[in-house]
Amino acid sequence: MRKSLVMVAALAFAAPVLAQGFTPTRPVEVVVHTGPGGGSDVLARAVALIIEKEKLVPVRMQVANKPGGGGTVAAAYLAEKKGESHTIGFFTGVWLTNPLTIEKANVTLKDLTPIARLVLEPAVIAVKADAPYKTLGDFVNAAKQKPGELKQSGGSITSRDNVVRQQLQKVSGARWAFISFPGGGERIAALLGGHVNMMVIEPAEAGEHIRAGNIRVLAQVSDKRLPAYPGVPTLKEAGFDVTPVPQVRGVVAPPGIPRENVVYWEGVFKKLSQTESWKKFLADNQFEDGYQGAADLAKFYDDFSQQMRVVLQEAGIKLVR
Amino acid sequence: MEILSGLMQGFAVALQPMNLLWCLLGVVLGTVVGVMPGLGPPATIAMLLPLTFLMNPSSAIIMLAGIYYGAKYGGSTTAILLNVPGESASVATCIDGYQMARKGRAGPALGIAAIASFIAGTFGVLGLMLVAPPLAKMALAFSSPEYFALMSLGLAMVVLLAGRSMIKALLATLVGLWIAGIGIDPFSTTARFTFGSRELLSGLDFVIVAIGVFAIGEVLANMEGREAVKALPVPKGLRNLLPTMQDMKDSRFAFANGSIIGFLIGVLPGAGSTIASFISYGVEKAVSRRPEEFGKGAVEGVAAPEAANNSETGGALVPMLTLAIPGSSTTAILLAALVLWGFKPGPLFIPENPAMFWGLVASMYVGNLMLLVLNLPLVPLFAQVLRAPAYVLYPAILGISVVGVYSTSGSHFDVWLLAGFGLMGYLMRKLDYPAAPLILGLVLGGALERALRQSLMMSEGSLSILVTRPISAVMLSLAVLILLIPLFNKFNHWRLRALEK
Repeated sequence: MRKSLVMVAALAFAAPVLAQGFTPTRPVEVVVHTGPGGGSDVLARAVALIIEKEKLVPVRMQVANKPGGGGTVAAAYLAEKKGESHTIGFFTGVWLTNPLTIEKANVTLKDLTPIARLVLEPAVIAVKADAPYKTLGDFVNAAKQKPGELKQSGGSITSRDNVVRQQLQKVSGARWAFISFPGGGERIAALLGGHVNMMVIEPAEAGEHIRAGNIRVLAQVSDKRLPAYPGVPTLKEAGFDVTPVPQVRGVVAPPGIPRENVVYWEGVFKKLSQTESWKKFLADNQFEDGYQGAADLAKFYDDFSQQMRVVLQEAGIKLVR
Repeated sequence: MEILSGLMQGFAVALQPMNLLWCLLGVVLGTVVGVMPGLGPPATIAMLLPLTFLMNPSSAIIMLAGIYYGAKYGGSTTAILLNVPGESASVATCIDGYQMARKGRAGPALGIAAIASFIAGTFGVLGLMLVAPPLAKMALAFSSPEYFALMSLGLAMVVLLAGRSMIKALLATLVGLWIAGIGIDPFSTTARFTFGSRELLSGLDFVIVAIGVFAIGEVLANMEGREAVKALPVPKGLRNLLPTMQDMKDSRFAFANGSIIGFLIGVLPGAGSTIASFISYGVEKAVSRRPEEFGKGAVEGVAAPEAANNSETGGALVPMLTLAIPGSSTTAILLAALVLWGFKPGPLFIPENPAMFWGLVASMYVGNLMLLVLNLPLVPLFAQVLRAPAYVLYPAILGISVVGVYSTSGSHFDVWLLAGFGLMGYLMRKLDYPAAPLILGLVLGGALERALRQSLMMSEGSLSILVTRPISAVMLSLAVLILLIPLFNKFNHWRLRALEK
């Protein structure tokens, strides 16, 4: 085992040094806000593997788990690393939404240095295979007839799951319950066990349950149809005029790092997004390529926060910022 | 027949020399990780993930699973010797294991833990092999109301963990439940009891509280009585270092109880091995003919939780492999590994990858055997640790505790928390408050609250959902029955005295 480690290290050092102002000289710390096995953790480890395989960075990438507070701990950790050029972090949408509702989540993405947006995660709306609803319209109508009786399982109330529900409820006037489960496994277990009627689920995860005949997909939370779901309508096509809120993942750096470092990291992730390994990873997980450079990402923050602000307000959630 | 041919196929994979080697590497690493508090299986598996891309996936899953169940063997070591729970699942082992060590029976305690682990680990694999798909479907009948009832049942065990005073035990439980509530409320994203501290937003890590209250509290209490600070007795001779026939006989029921309870609770994605170990400890005490020995070094009090937390591993792999539903962070990262290797975990994973599934199952039989062979000879060696004089042993325990806590989070704040809870553990000992109920409340608190609130959301606020669903109703009645045990005992006592008169 040690031998292969040495080999990997040797390979890494043999990689050509990029002709730019900054190149990392010691292992890079990659901060994620989940424990091992969580969404960001898995993405960061996959990215680290691909970067190593494609020799995009001459040093090792070490994932550091800073779980807790729905991302606030990791964001604060990055903020404290001011000016540190060998640390980057993987953010998700909750890094933007949490500061809106949690007083103490006082490090926002705007306090960190944007590097790149990497991934957009589409989602699909699923019901159990033996449920009577054939279309999203069926489900919404059923919810209208029995207000509050149908249930949806999902993450926290600031999660995309609930945002989709709020938006659908607003345009349709229907009302159904939202039950928070912290773990993704519990959400799908609740659906498969018939304890809830509907959930917003990641397409790759849904795919296997569809193949096994456990669930049916009614609509996709996406602007255009996903390749794996050619026959399933988007929300708009299903007759609901709703703008899907993207589930986003990307990379940030600590505040106050030199411009050339930003350029370097932006370049690394741009190259990453063009590799075959990365395209395969996206396809395997049914993610959308969401690459955006630093400048676009900063603008994306504002649009996304504004959109979430409205959605959360409509959901009756108290905003603190 | 299908199972038999599958198993043959599996052994053909698992017994390949390279796979035997990977399995050995996995279980050895697992044991090491389990012995050290702090660094747990999820972090270890994550660190080794890049290496697995150089291996074939069958070998890789064999090795990673080895780390997972190997760690459960190692977890009991520091619990028994030093009162430091290496993993959360070994807290219940501390209660009687450490008392056995204090009585000079560290060897038999470690030995019975290894044997219980082996029996239950093998039982867990057997369960995984025989009943995985149908059982996974049954586990889906469990939802929030059932989890609430299960957690209540676990909480009712407090009456069995209580020392002399029931009131004190209940108070300690309430404090544990309160500590569990610290942090961000997952439903409304409101911060609770965080006193403006960002570190507290994520809540208190159960390992910090457990190590503080158990290990640090114990060290402080021992340091106090200077004349009492002497090395613990460690008898010489191999015979005194391994469990006696009597120990094995006393633990017979504990092996079975722990194996079955551990497996069944393991299959439920929302429960976990800590709850499994506490419940089987409670059941063991409830049916024991000598309940008064529990907490004072009863060998079956070590066997039951150790069996439960090993059998749980086989159970936890059931929803992971048959439905792609992870119940813990370790199974979550195993699942992520499968995805990264290009597999599609889900209901069709086993039928479409029989060689891999059966290879894993077969390797777990082999791995459990390796762990037994590996761990039993280590028992006399580990027992020698206690020969160290107090001025070496106690600072070492403090050091291990601090490093263990710091290594999981890398946060100084957590080290301060550890100091605080150590002080609390010391005061609790001085005032004769039992520590186990506090930990029980803390472990179950979060899940209990979530399950209750989810249930009420499902029923639109009506509590009747908890008793109209049959599984939930049965478990809640059991919980009430257990809570009544002390009253019943009192009544019995009074009746016997009346009869004598």
